[in-house]
Amino acid sequence: MKFSATKEKLLEGLQQVQNVVSTRTTLPILSNVLLQAKGNEVHLTTTDLDVGVRGAFEASVEKEGATTLPARRLFTIIRELPSSEVSVEVDGKNAASIRSGQSFFKILGLPEEEFPPLPKFENAKNVTIPQKTLRDGLRKTSYAISTDETRYVLNGLLFSFKDNKLTLVATDGRRLAMVDIELEFPRSHEADIIVPTKAVTELGRLLTDDGEVKVSVGSGQIAFELNNTLLVSKLIEGNYPNYKQVIPTETKERVTLERETFLNSLRRVSLLASDKSNSIKLNFTKNNIDITANTPEVGEAKESLPVAYKGRDFSIAFNPEFFMAPLRALTEDEVFLDLIDEMSPGVLKISTPFLYVLMPMRISS
Amino acid sequence: MDEKYSQLWQKLSAALKPQVSPDTFKRWFSAVKLVSATDETFTFRVPNNIYQFWIESNHMAALQAAIVAAFGSPRDVKFVTASDSASKAEPEELPEISPKEFVRESARDGKQSGPALGLNPRNNFESFVVGPNNEIAHAASLAVAKTPARTYNPLFIYGGVGLGKTHLMQAIGQYVGINKKGAKVMYLSSEVFINEFIDAIQHNNLVKFRKRYRQADLLLIDDIQFLGGKERSQEEFFHTFNTLFDGHKQIVLSSDRPPSEIANLEHRLVSRFEWGLTAELQPPDVETRMAILRKKAHTLQIKLRDEIFDFLATRIRTNVRRLEGALMRVASFASLSGKELTNEVVEHLLKDILQEEARHSVTIEQIQRRVAEHFDVRLADMTSKRRPANIAFPRQIAMYLARELTKASLNEIGDAFGGRDHGTVLHACKLVKRRMQEQDNIRQTISFIDSALQR
Repeated sequence: MKFSATKEKLLEGLQQVQNVVSTRTTLPILSNVLLQAKGNEVHLTTTDLDVGVRGAFEASVEKEGATTLPARRLFTIIRELPSSEVSVEVDGKNAASIRSGQSFFKILGLPEEEFPPLPKFENAKNVTIPQKTLRDGLRKTSYAISTDETRYVLNGLLFSFKDNKLTLVATDGRRLAMVDIELEFPRSHEADIIVPTKAVTELGRLLTDDGEVKVSVGSGQIAFELNNTLLVSKLIEGNYPNYKQVIPTETKERVTLERETFLNSLRRVSLLASDKSNSIKLNFTKNNIDITANTPEVGEAKESLPVAYKGRDFSIAFNPEFFMAPLRALTEDEVFLDLIDEMSPGVLKISTPFLYVLMPMRISS
Repeated sequence: MDEKYSQLWQKLSAALKPQVSPDTFKRWFSAVKLVSATDETFTFRVPNNIYQFWIESNHMAALQAAIVAAFGSPRDVKFVTASDSASKAEPEELPEISPKEFVRESARDGKQSGPALGLNPRNNFESFVVGPNNEIAHAASLAVAKTPARTYNPLFIYGGVGLGKTHLMQAIGQYVGINKKGAKVMYLSSEVFINEFIDAIQHNNLVKFRKRYRQADLLLIDDIQFLGGKERSQEEFFHTFNTLFDGHKQIVLSSDRPPSEIANLEHRLVSRFEWGLTAELQPPDVETRMAILRKKAHTLQIKLRDEIFDFLATRIRTNVRRLEGALMRVASFASLSGKELTNEVVEHLLKDILQEEARHSVTIEQIQRRVAEHFDVRLADMTSKRRPANIAFPRQIAMYLARELTKASLNEIGDAFGGRDHGTVLHACKLVKRRMQEQDNIRQTISFIDSALQR
């Protein structure tokens, strides 16, 4: 195998796939990237057996062929190369010679045959979604995915295809984020699947603002095809809990908040929320919210925000990090906070189908 | 029974209502049912797992407060998801997974299910009787099973024969196997490890051997003391240990003695074993023995009079395995002969076991422990190479007592004292005998320790 390419193209290609390579792996081949030179492209593939990514970059291929090389090492070498032209030549023993300007590197690889193939998709159900929409949906939900391994069904994002709608749901038991995406698909495509966190993170990285992404759901696995890149992942087995149970049906008070102003206030006040209780308190009075935090033996913080609020006076406490996460992810100028009372969950909404349920903390009065 | 629980639940609900908002109560607690209640644990049945997740994450404090308010003391709270037959009619959009199905599923798709691994399904946490003698070991094991590699790594369990080391280890293995799908659990004794290692050297496939062990998410090794004196196996195990530890994989080891007292074990291994938590299993006290007998009788559906339980629990003291054997023997005699069981009959039946118990054979380890305690030296000094007079003499006394009170040969005694020569032991015995004749206070001390050991 022999090809030459520009450093930028090669680097870009490697960046797309290298995140999947896990640092701690038991199979040496999994820390390698599969390179396949064909036509005027070199395909790159990485996998950790759960998630796999396949991308490509433009190159002038002199001799077609394939090999696998240590992904991290290759990436660091290419990044440091002095010249913008890179040529790579691999001999029969999978040793790659990399030449660029005055530099010469030789790194040892493993044969192509040892690399586990990406799963085949037969009888898969296909749906096409605009990339921007999906990217937006992931950003608004993925931060709420649980990291608690004992609740493994929550260690992923629910993709629920139903009634011509794709609903994305993430929850960790204390909060829940949900987005609805309008989508046309046949009834037979209706399904609930759980995509593991790693695949969601990688997908978020790969999605851009233009074009579409083709989603194929097979048995126990899912594939996303976009911009000449393919991401495949195993699905989390099991049933996602009935998340609708969590969403309050009727709320009593609604406040409209300026997202950025409110986020900045929260961030400032949370500097004095203690690590232990880690809560901030919102005190609602007529047309005003006081945001307060205090840590015994450290100090306290308070900030007042004028808002349009006409309900009764009351206080409610939240985990500041859980409150700020959705505010950071949203882009809208205004958000609506719906509340019932100090012990019931708060609901954050925007003008598009998005919903964030957040449990209050108990106020010790 | 159901009625009793529903009454308890009503009492609890009343205490819970003021703790949570009406909406929360209606939404989360109205579908909850109390299905079992003991002094330690309340088990609630919930329609599906979102109830469990949400109540655990958000309403545990309120629930515990209500339990204390209603019943005076806190309990462990467990949840089970309703199985299809008994589920309360709650509109359900997603079919739920019952715990039973879970087990079956993981058994089907993974090689790591209980029986295939050599794990006895009866050795689980539920069947383990907890008493003051083993509560630390039990709590540590449970913590390890719930969050492998987060709490205590490695966990080192030690204790005498038949006190439940293997039971705890297998319970950890099964708990992880069931609750963590895809986790690779390996359970084996150190002997298997050594044999496979030798085999690997012989057939020159060490790489395969290493791969096999170093991929485990949970490695349980029973009777690790047999690694003592096997240098290359120790080295191999050392590397396996490091790989797993660095990869944040859980390691659990068991032995019949603490790591520092395993003869001919390299220091780097000893220090690693002591790195996490070392938990000791002691012989059960009489109440715990009663509890064990009752539990065992219940599972085997044996019915005996209280006196018989009492008799067995008071007379058989040292070993849980023997206790269970005696129960089996009594029960099978009762069912075969159909005779009324009295203490005399039982005494006759268990003649051999009781004799053995009465003789209460002394082990070298007990001698070492007692002597070290008496002279206020460290137990490790019994096996160490150091020999200032204040350590050497107690050690010689211990050797003498080992010679007098056990059937161990000079060589065995030497080995137990840190690999000493049989000549050293012989010299110690002669020396102690001579000094006993010469000095009254030494004779008194030794006879005191002797009688303490015999008791």
